[in-house]
Amino acid sequence: MKGLENDLAELVGHGSLKTEPEDMFAYQSDATHYFAKGMPDAVVLPTSTEEVAAVVSYANKNQVPVTPRGAGSGLSGGCTPVKGGIVLDMKRMNKILEINRGNMTASVDAGVVLANFHKAVESQGLFYPPDPQSMTVCTIGGNVATRAGGPRGVKYGTTPHYVLGVEAVLPDGYIIQAGGKCVKQSVGYDLTHLFAGSEGTLGVITKANLRIMPLPPCHRTALVTCKSIEQAAEMVSEIIAAGTVPAMLELLMGMSVHVMNSMISPPAPIDGEAYLLMDIDGSESQVAEDSETLQTICRDMGAMEVRVIEDEKEAKTYWKARSSLYPLALTMAKKVVAEDVTVPRDKVPVFVREVQAMAGRLGLLVGLSGHAGDGNMHPTILYGEVNEEQEKLARQAISQIVRIGLALGGTISGEHGIGLHKSEYLEWDLGGAQIELMKRVKNAFDPNGIMNPGKLWLQGGAS
Amino acid sequence: MSFELNDFEEMMAKCSYCAFCQATCPVFLQDLLETHMPRARMSLAKACLVENTIPRTKHLEEILDRCLLCGNCERTCPAGIKVNDIVVAARKSMYKGKRKTFLERNFLNSFMQKRGMDWLHRTAFAVAKKIGRVPDGILNPRAQTFSKQFTGVFPAKGEKRATVAYFVGCATNSSYVETGKALLNVFTKNGIEVIVPEGLLCCGMPAIVEGDTETAYNMFMHNVRIFHKMEVDAVVTDCTTCGLMFKENGAKLAPAGTPLLEKVQGVAAKMWEATDYLNHLGLVDPPNQLDTKFTYHVPCHRAWSPTLAEAPRDVARQVPGAELCEMAEPESCCGAGGTFFVQHEELSGGIRGKKKAMIEDTGANTILTQCPACRGYLAAGCEEKVVMHPLDFLAQAYGVLDKTPQPKK
Ligand SMILES: Cc1cc2nc3c(=O)[nH]c(=O)nc-3n(C[C@H](O)[C@H](O)[C@H](O)COP(=O)(O)OP(=O)(O)OC[C@H]3O[C@@H](n4cnc5c(N)ncnc54)[C@H](O)[C@@H]3O)c2cc1C
Repeated sequence: MKGLENDLAELVGHGSLKTEPEDMFAYQSDATHYFAKGMPDAVVLPTSTEEVAAVVSYANKNQVPVTPRGAGSGLSGGCTPVKGGIVLDMKRMNKILEINRGNMTASVDAGVVLANFHKAVESQGLFYPPDPQSMTVCTIGGNVATRAGGPRGVKYGTTPHYVLGVEAVLPDGYIIQAGGKCVKQSVGYDLTHLFAGSEGTLGVITKANLRIMPLPPCHRTALVTCKSIEQAAEMVSEIIAAGTVPAMLELLMGMSVHVMNSMISPPAPIDGEAYLLMDIDGSESQVAEDSETLQTICRDMGAMEVRVIEDEKEAKTYWKARSSLYPLALTMAKKVVAEDVTVPRDKVPVFVREVQAMAGRLGLLVGLSGHAGDGNMHPTILYGEVNEEQEKLARQAISQIVRIGLALGGTISGEHGIGLHKSEYLEWDLGGAQIELMKRVKNAFDPNGIMNPGKLWLQGGAS
Repeated sequence: MSFELNDFEEMMAKCSYCAFCQATCPVFLQDLLETHMPRARMSLAKACLVENTIPRTKHLEEILDRCLLCGNCERTCPAGIKVNDIVVAARKSMYKGKRKTFLERNFLNSFMQKRGMDWLHRTAFAVAKKIGRVPDGILNPRAQTFSKQFTGVFPAKGEKRATVAYFVGCATNSSYVETGKALLNVFTKNGIEVIVPEGLLCCGMPAIVEGDTETAYNMFMHNVRIFHKMEVDAVVTDCTTCGLMFKENGAKLAPAGTPLLEKVQGVAAKMWEATDYLNHLGLVDPPNQLDTKFTYHVPCHRAWSPTLAEAPRDVARQVPGAELCEMAEPESCCGAGGTFFVQHEELSGGIRGKKKAMIEDTGANTILTQCPACRGYLAAGCEEKVVMHPLDFLAQAYGVLDKTPQPKK
């Protein structure tokens, strides 16, 4: 690999290049390290679009795989370099280029960390709603490439709803400016949104133009204690149908609140079997009115308690704990596999019932804490032990969860993307014809199959 | 003796690879390289030193040395993984107490024993300084250390509210002697009797950083034996790192099941950072006017007391005319990390650069912080600012900065 190292050093310099085994070790996987790992041959840390273009076109000429990487916080194995080659770590391209109030848009480098962007716009009274729970570390590029979302999805939608344009480097080294800064665009194919969810398989996103909005002046958090998870799920559908949409509407199982309590102060009640955690935002009068309506709905449906958390600091601890739920889950289980099946919101109660019944039959612990408000339930397998038997059961459970979701008109991924983790089920969701079409699209962008090979569909990139 | 890497195996298995530790690790945020994030440090240590699946190399050592031991990772990790302790355990396992060269170790040991530099080391230091071999931020040693001048009982003025024992940190003892004096003056003025025992050693923390837990434990226990015997309401220290040592790390060093643990815990329960303790009791003597804008840099070793970071703000706000100008990230690291900055000049300088910009933005002319390493390093980087311990600030407001405290005969 000396040749590769020398060539890359010529393109980007030694300061932006790592090839020692310990460095490769650190880039083996994303947050799904238990699922798959792969050693890259080199990690390049570009600082400009031109450097990206130089590296990618070099790789294209020499048939070297390139895996773009943001924070590596993904939950699908998307940035795991299973075929070796070059990892393009985008985190050093981290400038917020513009926050334009007059146009309500912002332009950022792909490596900007989401929380830093949130902070920057919020300090100006502006708002960028997408809120994947990994926001303290995940990058805008990773968000766009996976169509990331979060609790605010229920009211505000997810990343693609805010992307107006991207700058991207194609495998042959071309730099394109797809879309732009206009809030309406009607020119040819929507390549911008082809990059949304592309998972690094079409090219490298180097910049993004994002829509922003005024920051809602007021918000309030409430915790609803429910007798059962079915009751909580029915409340979710009822709330959506009533048309009073909270900014966030999360379903939490009793055991989730139990582990979250290590971060919540004062601790939350633990007498419910399930909970709804919601945030209501808007003008002061709107928040007051909506929270009355929502409280009435929950009470009428038999909630054990509806608790409005008045203290802002206390409310923050709830949301911080919520965002840490995935790492917290490992404090109660030996292994955790989070799925991303999403169903239409009126089907949330049926989905919950069927998954619960299935888990009971298999004797497995399946968590269903998730972004219930947008139907993104994150069914999660919690292992008591890690052994063959459990792995077999877990695989069975996952394929059944996928079947249940799809039968209800759902989808296998709401926000994490396919990567490696879900490619097994891609065909169930899309069917052969769509996959064929996608492969042709892939081929048009990346005829040599160098961009993030091994992802999306089983066995290799473009075929 | 604790800090054995194998003992952390179960805890390390709780890492979900969520990457949240990227958000606060000062080294990662400077290098923006995943090799230098806590998750990688931990998994490299595990692979090399527990599982033996990768070889021990020079580069691996560099990676495990490139950690300030600030503890941000531990405070950020939702699963509560003690990454900081794991790095210490890894250093222990790799170096067996010999991370530095013989000469360096010799010097460090002498310093920890004497809590300052002897004549020979001071002379060498002066020469090195003259030829520009001493990095900016290293504190000048004094011949007249604090403990050479001030031991014994310093009685409370007016009605006595409490009696405390004072563990003076090595940096204060050797260089910031005025801070030790300030503590005596400010405490006694507020009705607190201070006893400064003789024969103390370094708290042991510098040895922990080296992974040399045996030396650390021996020094620590020497001090514990002294404080354990004293009948006082509290043991106070001016240094947040010494405080961390007494409050938390000491018990981690003690061998499992030792009967000495009771003593260790007894002293730990009484341990306070001095500003924190003073604020806990409250000022009885109102400070005078001091027209100044100040900002407060929170030392990394802060988590051992929940009120440690609020105390300096609280007491300084009681000084009429003093205006607190908070910086954007008061809790972010300054880059010093004890003497980390000496071996990692560029990295630390970069971290400090970010801190400096935040400080500039506040418009403050005075920086308060309780950690002597932060203090020296910030002072070297922010030449136009005055950097002081909160107790110095109070002493100034009381007009007792230059007063020489007198022990009871
Ligand atoms: C604790 C935890 C909570 C999470 N919560 C949520 C959540 O609520 N909602 C959610 O949607 N996700 C969530 N995630 C998953 C993950 O954080 C998101 O998918 C996030 O968008 C990934 O961003 P990243 O920068 O880490 O990207 P990476 O993981 O590094 O990469 C993800 C994919 O994007 C590609 N990619 C990255 N950058 C670029 C680029 N510049 N150009 C082209 N392709 C690129 C990679 O090749 C890969 O396929 C969570 C993860 C964790 C660990």
